[in-house]
Amino acid sequence: MRMGDREQEIFPKDPNKTYGLMELVKGTSTRVDKGPDNMVSSWPHLLIREAYLLAITVIVVLVVAILWNAPLEAMANPAHPTNPAKAPWYFAWLQELVSYNAFWGGIAAPGLFVAGLIVVPYLDRRRRGVGRWFARERLAANLIFTFVVLVIVTITLIGMYCRGPNWNFYLPWQNPNRGNIF
Amino acid sequence: MSLQLNEKEEATPGAKPDLWQRLLQVIYRQSPALFESIRGLPVNVYKSIYRTTAFPKTERERSEAFFNSFLLHIQPVKIQRHALRYTYTFGLGLISLYLFGILSVTGVLLMFYYVPSTHMAYQRMLDLSSSVSFGQLLRNMHRWAAHMMVATVFLHMCRVFYTGAYKPPREFNWVIGVILLVVTCFLSFTGYLLPWDQLAYWAVEVGTSIAGYTPYFGHQIKWALLGGRNVGQETLIRFYVLHVAVLPLLATSLIVYHFWRIRKDGGISGPEDDESYLERVGGNNGQGANWDWGAHS
Repeated sequence: MRMGDREQEIFPKDPNKTYGLMELVKGTSTRVDKGPDNMVSSWPHLLIREAYLLAITVIVVLVVAILWNAPLEAMANPAHPTNPAKAPWYFAWLQELVSYNAFWGGIAAPGLFVAGLIVVPYLDRRRRGVGRWFARERLAANLIFTFVVLVIVTITLIGMYCRGPNWNFYLPWQNPNRGNIF
Repeated sequence: MSLQLNEKEEATPGAKPDLWQRLLQVIYRQSPALFESIRGLPVNVYKSIYRTTAFPKTERERSEAFFNSFLLHIQPVKIQRHALRYTYTFGLGLISLYLFGILSVTGVLLMFYYVPSTHMAYQRMLDLSSSVSFGQLLRNMHRWAAHMMVATVFLHMCRVFYTGAYKPPREFNWVIGVILLVVTCFLSFTGYLLPWDQLAYWAVEVGTSIAGYTPYFGHQIKWALLGGRNVGQETLIRFYVLHVAVLPLLATSLIVYHFWRIRKDGGISGPEDDESYLERVGGNNGQGANWDWGAHS
């Protein structure tokens, strides 16, 4: 590293020495075998954020629970099916797919989805663009993932909002079954 | 309270020492060691549990706060400034954990009232909203937190993908995370049946019929889930046991392992894990985890 004139003036170079003063770092402890880093103490920086997050989470759940009651319909009656009978919203995409093809919707789609997710880190191992949102180096991977997520979300929304009696297609605001989502 | 104070008060003419001070004086005359123990009781009890100051100021005290604490020890003493940005993680993993905690607490309280019987379950739901103090609030919190948790776990997975955080050395933690997503869905699904209303009954009838489409084993899988041909008492008790014992234990174990691995895989991901960054600074960036063992051993 070339020393500037000003630095030469303050720290004159001694030709008999094989080492030199490179940098002065402000700190409260010595650092051995470590380059400059960007670390802070977890106390209080991390803990205070975790505490905030806990408070916010509890408050949000409480407010939602005070404002809206959990649904409770009539007592279960195996003799009288609801029309339509809907799976929980997170399985709505599977139910929608099952209405087209039982095997593909019920087994192949969820199986491929989970298996695909599991093999992703073993296929995509190059560590470029790690640690940044939507890194340009990862455009292809992000596009494929976004496509899969959008397809699942779209099918889920169709299953949740657009399916009415006899699993017929309705526009969400014309659906006679609207309101019974959760 | 110190002995000096007692002597001073004794010296004041006309002032009667109160009962407490006289008692302390008696103890002090009989056994000075016992007197010292009583005087230091609050500090000694605190120090027997927790050996660090509650509000550490120096770097050493801040480190000790983590080393000496059971609850804090799974977290790093020092953390990358980058990892603290809310806009990097949005706290989604931690929110999921907090929701799991809320669900555990409200779930245990609900268990005091719930009876997994087709005759009584629905009546207990009505009781919760009419005759149990805060029963409706308890059920609402449990229901909405469950839906939120499915959503936040999924969003957490999206965050990890879009930041490339699943790449080596964190591949296996991603796999654990995928399993946790599936477990979360099943936890929610098994709880869905328990109110035993029309919504629950037919949702589970539909959900389990999806599992019945498995080739060759479909019939057996459906039978194992339902305990019969249709959703009934056998199904309710199966879903109940899965919901309150089997799946929470599985989820807790996986969550603990998931968190442990974050530390072992070099902490939360950041720009320093980027290959181009490593090339720039030269090899391992001293982040603790020596994941590149092929090159270093």
